Amino acid sequence: MRGGDHEFTLESYKKLFESLYPQLCVFAYKYLNDLEISKDFVQEVFVKVWEDKITFQNENHATGFFYKAVKNKCLNYLKSKQYKATERYELANIEAYETEEFYMSEAVVIETTAVINKAISQLPEKAAQVIRLSIEDYTNNQIAEELSISVNTVKDHKKVAYRKLRDFLSFLTVK
Amino acid sequence: MGHSNKIKPLSKTLAASIIKNEIPGDLEKLEIFDEKIKGQMLTDIKASERLKLLKEIDAEKDWKTVKEKIQGSRNPYRFWAYGVAASVVLLVSISIAFVFNNINETPSFEAPIIVNNNIEVGTNKATLTLEDGSAVTLEKGTDYQTANITSNGEEIIYRNNQKAVTNNYNTLTIPRGGQFYILLSDGTKVWLNSESQLKYPVAFKDGETRQVELVYGEAYFDVSPSTDHKGAKFKVLNQSQEVEVLGTEFNIKAYKDEANVYTTLVEGKVAVSTADKNQILVPNQQSNLNLETHTISLAMVDVYNETTWKDGIFSFENKSLKDILKVLSRWYDMDVVIENMVQTEERFIGTFNKSNSIEDILIAIKSTNFINNYEINDKTLTIK
Repeated sequence: MRGGDHEFTLESYKKLFESLYPQLCVFAYKYLNDLEISKDFVQEVFVKVWEDKITFQNENHATGFFYKAVKNKCLNYLKSKQYKATERYELANIEAYETEEFYMSEAVVIETTAVINKAISQLPEKAAQVIRLSIEDYTNNQIAEELSISVNTVKDHKKVAYRKLRDFLSFLTVK
Repeated sequence: MGHSNKIKPLSKTLAASIIKNEIPGDLEKLEIFDEKIKGQMLTDIKASERLKLLKEIDAEKDWKTVKEKIQGSRNPYRFWAYGVAASVVLLVSISIAFVFNNINETPSFEAPIIVNNNIEVGTNKATLTLEDGSAVTLEKGTDYQTANITSNGEEIIYRNNQKAVTNNYNTLTIPRGGQFYILLSDGTKVWLNSESQLKYPVAFKDGETRQVELVYGEAYFDVSPSTDHKGAKFKVLNQSQEVEVLGTEFNIKAYKDEANVYTTLVEGKVAVSTADKNQILVPNQQSNLNLETHTISLAMVDVYNETTWKDGIFSFENKSLKDILKVLSRWYDMDVVIENMVQTEERFIGTFNKSNSIEDILIAIKSTNFINNYEINDKTLTIK
């Protein structure tokens, strides 16, 4: 497929929604501490972007836009009279929430968690178990013990997993 | 303009490092976060702290709600190549080294110079030259049909028709920035890489040695077995060597601007011969014919790296940046000028999806810090 302008259809908007919506809900939850309101807000952002015919240059741009839009919506709500009237309002929290550091670290943690989860979900079950433990800093010996398999089998599973994930994890590094 | 656009690329590189148990260098470079926060982020990601909540979200169900609200306002969007981005998650490592500042983002590296980027991602395209010398351009959207040939512009298929047996040869020429798939009349499948040319008979005579010529460039052959053709062997000729096979899969790389011809066997058995040498290959073995010294050397290789180009992926292992740029120049049909490069002898491992834009790939290359900067002007890439 080549670059250039693509007509954005309901179908491709659905793909975008499915690739971003779960993370954005969890992200909003970090500000609002209420999953139902979080879902509503994220859905409203998706409706608005469609109605306003906003376009994106690429995936990075689209992802960044949605995180930022959801953040702004959450902060506006936290500062609103409606919220102050109904909830315990803690000024200190709002200030922490408004920092770029809170925003970026939450967004990156959630997005990275989603990317890892998606990558692992493409692996065969055993290899997925090995990688999950490996991510939690289990050594090969500990993984072998935990799953009642040999250390060599652990290494084989890792090899299979890295091979399979190679296309997913494009990279360039010095040998 | 804050750091929002870095969320996706940073998350991808972080995910790659964490899965591979490597130290996430990109996070280290992020001065927006202090050390304590970086540590907490890694701990949270490794413990999958947000995963439980993530799995509670039913995107399928909630899409229905959103869909109801937006239906009726069915305005088509213009959206740049999102299909690619959504279907395949491309990972491009981005080196992010900026100073945290509430208002301004201050990159500490030189920004690339993009004057007028006319470098496009390659596509399926070729020129078919018929026996009478007439040329047909094949590309997406063009249909071509004759009694023996069918093409939708993205691949070409020859029917097995013994009545069509003549001495007629057709030629398929793949330009820079192109690739093509051809099914020969004997059922042999050939994938042709950018800047390659294949000459082949319109039909093969039953029982006689099947012979094609890779005039130049790179091709992957999945040869229809001899047993299906009354024992007829299959031969691939090239200016400097001949490969004889019985039915197998292999890759030949014989570019005009390279001093070596590489033949890599994936499956089966082939014999590579030159005027005075003959070499049998076993699977995973690669012969390297040096055109200057006329010697053939053998090596065991990872066939994945040698053949995955036909599946839309460039996989490099133990390659210099110069070699990598050469491969890229063919697919992106660009001229590469190297003005300055740090330690060009360094070897790299890397994987790129062929649907990546050249700029996405350059970001990954630049992040290695082995190039200082680059400039794109029209179809020329200059490494600075």
